[in-house]
Amino acid sequence: MQIQVRLYATFRAGRFNEQMRDYPPGSTIKDVLADLAIDEALVGTLFVEFKYATSDQQLHEGVRLGIFPVVGGG
Amino acid sequence: MPLPASNDFYSRQILFPGIGEEGQRKLRDARVAIAGCGATGSAIASLLARAGVGFLRIIDRDYVELSNLQRQTLFDETDAAEFLPKAVAAARRLSLCNSNVTIEAQVADLTPDNVDPLLGDCSLIMDGTDNFETRYLINDYAISKNVPWIYTAAIGSVGVTMNILPGETACVACMFPDSPRGSIETCETAGILNAAVTAIGAHAAAEALKFFTGAKHLMRRTLLTEDVWWVDHAELPAEAPRPDCRCCMRRQFPHLAGENHPHITLCGRNSVQIHEQRRTIDLAQLEQRLQAHGAVRNNGFALRFWRDPYELTLFSDGRAIIKGTTDVGIARSFYARFVGA
Repeated sequence: MQIQVRLYATFRAGRFNEQMRDYPPGSTIKDVLADLAIDEALVGTLFVEFKYATSDQQLHEGVRLGIFPVVGGG
Repeated sequence: MPLPASNDFYSRQILFPGIGEEGQRKLRDARVAIAGCGATGSAIASLLARAGVGFLRIIDRDYVELSNLQRQTLFDETDAAEFLPKAVAAARRLSLCNSNVTIEAQVADLTPDNVDPLLGDCSLIMDGTDNFETRYLINDYAISKNVPWIYTAAIGSVGVTMNILPGETACVACMFPDSPRGSIETCETAGILNAAVTAIGAHAAAEALKFFTGAKHLMRRTLLTEDVWWVDHAELPAEAPRPDCRCCMRRQFPHLAGENHPHITLCGRNSVQIHEQRRTIDLAQLEQRLQAHGAVRNNGFALRFWRDPYELTLFSDGRAIIKGTTDVGIARSFYARFVGA
């Protein structure tokens, strides 16, 4: 299934900004994080179709997934 | 009441239709607390003081160092040489920028014990901190007391900001429900561009001006991120709270209650902060006592003591930053040996 993945802020470095990516049916957000080598401990918030999501949430064909890091410096 | 004639200072800002004379008067009556005065705090404080926010309280626990100067625009080399507390140096600089406004310096670590006296009499809190422990504390306080605040952070070339309007938007615990569990990047590890700080600080300051000048309805209801290097600007919706948010929905405030509040923190630059010792220190007296044990200097606000390989900076409330180690045990024992157990 195709998932539209949008990475925000520091997660874009060395990866991409926005990409349509292919995952097996039944994949969860955790699977996407693993695929992109994103440490879940560094994830601030997850959005599916611009609604709050959790990492164990299953994804469906064509949805938009946003992954936002914890940004703490100042 | 009309603005005094001396307020030619604000003439160009008053010309802006969003502010006008009335908006400028509202800014004069505004009271803002800026929690933390590093890079983002400096940018925000400078803009708000110059814009004529009538009262600014600058709260910061740290002192100026050379490595700050590339991005912390309120400080200079003299401040670093004198290891002035950032709150004091910032207040001095801001008073020179605009003598029409009142700047109050508070050399303090924001904790559950002092959060109410430091933030309670201000109608907006600006985030200039560099850590999530303090942000969660501010968030708990702001939501519980119904006080708006503006989260602002920066790392590398990226800045992030969000307005938290209790009852109207999500809060920081909605966006970041869990305290960071991993080792998150800091300015010390990932670096920081001064342009990223200035850009995101400007966004936050503009939102503060809207808040005070009757344009609250124009305030952003999004989590904004901006990358000045890769030229990316994105916003995520932040209008709706997370349905199970422990803070704004379940009204649980563990950070305000002091749960898990550490008495010792690693500062991320080969140093340890000890704030478990609440005591009033006579800096002049201690300076004399320490002279036999190493080099010592007292700037009236803090005392610095060097004894290889460590450097201790002690504030008059007993708080200390010990540089040269990340070992809490060593830091504690150094403190006990030279300041007292």
